[in-house]
Amino acid sequence: MLCQFCKTRTATIHFTNVDGGDVQKIHICRQCAEEKGFEYLKKSNFEKHDLIAGLMDDPAAPPRSGHRTANRCPTCGRTYAAFSKSASLGCSKCYECFGADIAKVLKRIHGNARHLGKVPRRFCTDGATTRRRLKELRSTLRAAVESENYERAAELRDEIESLRRSLADGKGS
Amino acid sequence: MTKELQELLRTPAAWLRENAEQSEMVLSSRIRLARNLESRTFTHCADQAELAAVRSEVRSAIAEAPSMAGALLIDMDETSEPERMVLAERRLISQEMVRSYVNRSLAVLPRETLSVMINEEDHLRLQSFACGLSLADAFTRLNVLDDELDGALEFAFSEQFGYMTACTTNVGTGLRASAMVHLPGLVHNGDIRQVIDGLRHVKLSVRGSYGEGSEVTGNFFQISNSITLGLSEPDIVSSMESHVRKVLEFEQKARDALLKEARSLLEDKVWRSYGILRSARLLTSREAMGMISYLRLGVGLGMITDVTLADVNEMLIMIQPMHLQFLYDKVMAPEERDRSRADYVRSRLGGG
Ligand SMILES: [Zn+2]
Ligand SMILES: [Zn+2]
Repeated sequence: MLCQFCKTRTATIHFTNVDGGDVQKIHICRQCAEEKGFEYLKKSNFEKHDLIAGLMDDPAAPPRSGHRTANRCPTCGRTYAAFSKSASLGCSKCYECFGADIAKVLKRIHGNARHLGKVPRRFCTDGATTRRRLKELRSTLRAAVESENYERAAELRDEIESLRRSLADGKGS
Repeated sequence: MTKELQELLRTPAAWLRENAEQSEMVLSSRIRLARNLESRTFTHCADQAELAAVRSEVRSAIAEAPSMAGALLIDMDETSEPERMVLAERRLISQEMVRSYVNRSLAVLPRETLSVMINEEDHLRLQSFACGLSLADAFTRLNVLDDELDGALEFAFSEQFGYMTACTTNVGTGLRASAMVHLPGLVHNGDIRQVIDGLRHVKLSVRGSYGEGSEVTGNFFQISNSITLGLSEPDIVSSMESHVRKVLEFEQKARDALLKEARSLLEDKVWRSYGILRSARLLTSREAMGMISYLRLGVGLGMITDVTLADVNEMLIMIQPMHLQFLYDKVMAPEERDRSRADYVRSRLGGG
């Protein structure tokens, strides 16, 4: 998509401007954004995609070999270039296809690329549940230590140790 | 349009009147969970047939969910654009859904505490609202709904990435927690810049809000988490809550200092604003926001006792442009809107 200001360069920043009842989609290139000054962007209601533009690799750059698993998701047809431009995906299978690249992007956005939260019921038979439980126990342990409840802390430490061992043995829960 | 939808659009949400912790400084708490169906293309890449299939699957799951008993189901295809715009001003649907409405729906409890957007950026966007600073409660309620739906629907999930979302900014927990805070003290003493920088440093995002235009008006700010992956849901919620509490401590100090050092000036500002709100014949959105901000501060500090925080919260919702048009049942030019806004505010405050 072309920048709607200079109409020559590719728009890399996309955001929504809400003014009165009017909603406007703005597509702008980095150069024009800088020329217009940060003020212009600050005044607009940012949507997340703008923040991502700077995080992504240049989609036009030649693919570096070795880590990219696919250029197109076979399930939904989403291309690597489209993912790269918007940091958005077409279906859950995209996460497998572009796995290595997604992990990189996620590290930059979230500082991290591994889920530690809730797990849907149908997944509750594998290691994920154990890991989640471990995470919960660790934060409870921190709280117990902070409140100087050492007896409880010792119990929690034992429980964490045994869960860790079971995870290492590949038993899960 | 159904009578139920009419009623919903005409009356501010019931939860706005609830007694809640920290409501002098916090208008509302919101939790959102993003979920998608396994083996379905994400909304922005799906064709209409697929969107229709997703919608009917999600609809039947919601019909079975005890948390959503008595919910209104609104198909966006059956609504007019102004109706959708009112729903968007109320944050029950997104701006995007105002424009892309075919095969999109909203399920919402009459109290507006729980709602589900169907076929927004993600197949499901579960939302819960609460008054004041109640992120933990709002999360608990929403988590129950998520459990209920999890039984009937297969959510797209991977062990590594968690809940898979259309945009990588939501992946993992899919959880966005936000609090709408009112910080006139910090804006007045100039510390707001530092506070915002501090919040950004701990990866929370801050936006000005409730302005008719795009700039910050009325000293209202929305604080929300930007990291959704690598932390558990309770950790995200409790860390948000503790950072917000820190900000409120600073705001309280700023208010105390204002009262101590410039009481008459502050009282003058508050009463003057109250006076204008009760008598103005034209109120632009910007002016109204500024005045209501002082009024809210005056109510919070106990200077004004014949107006409640709940009244102020409701006014903030109802003076938005689409709400006014809806309330007065006509399309209005900005000038006419300013007159209606002034009329509405006067009637709410018993002005002459
Ligand atoms: Zn340009
Ligand atoms: Zn795909």
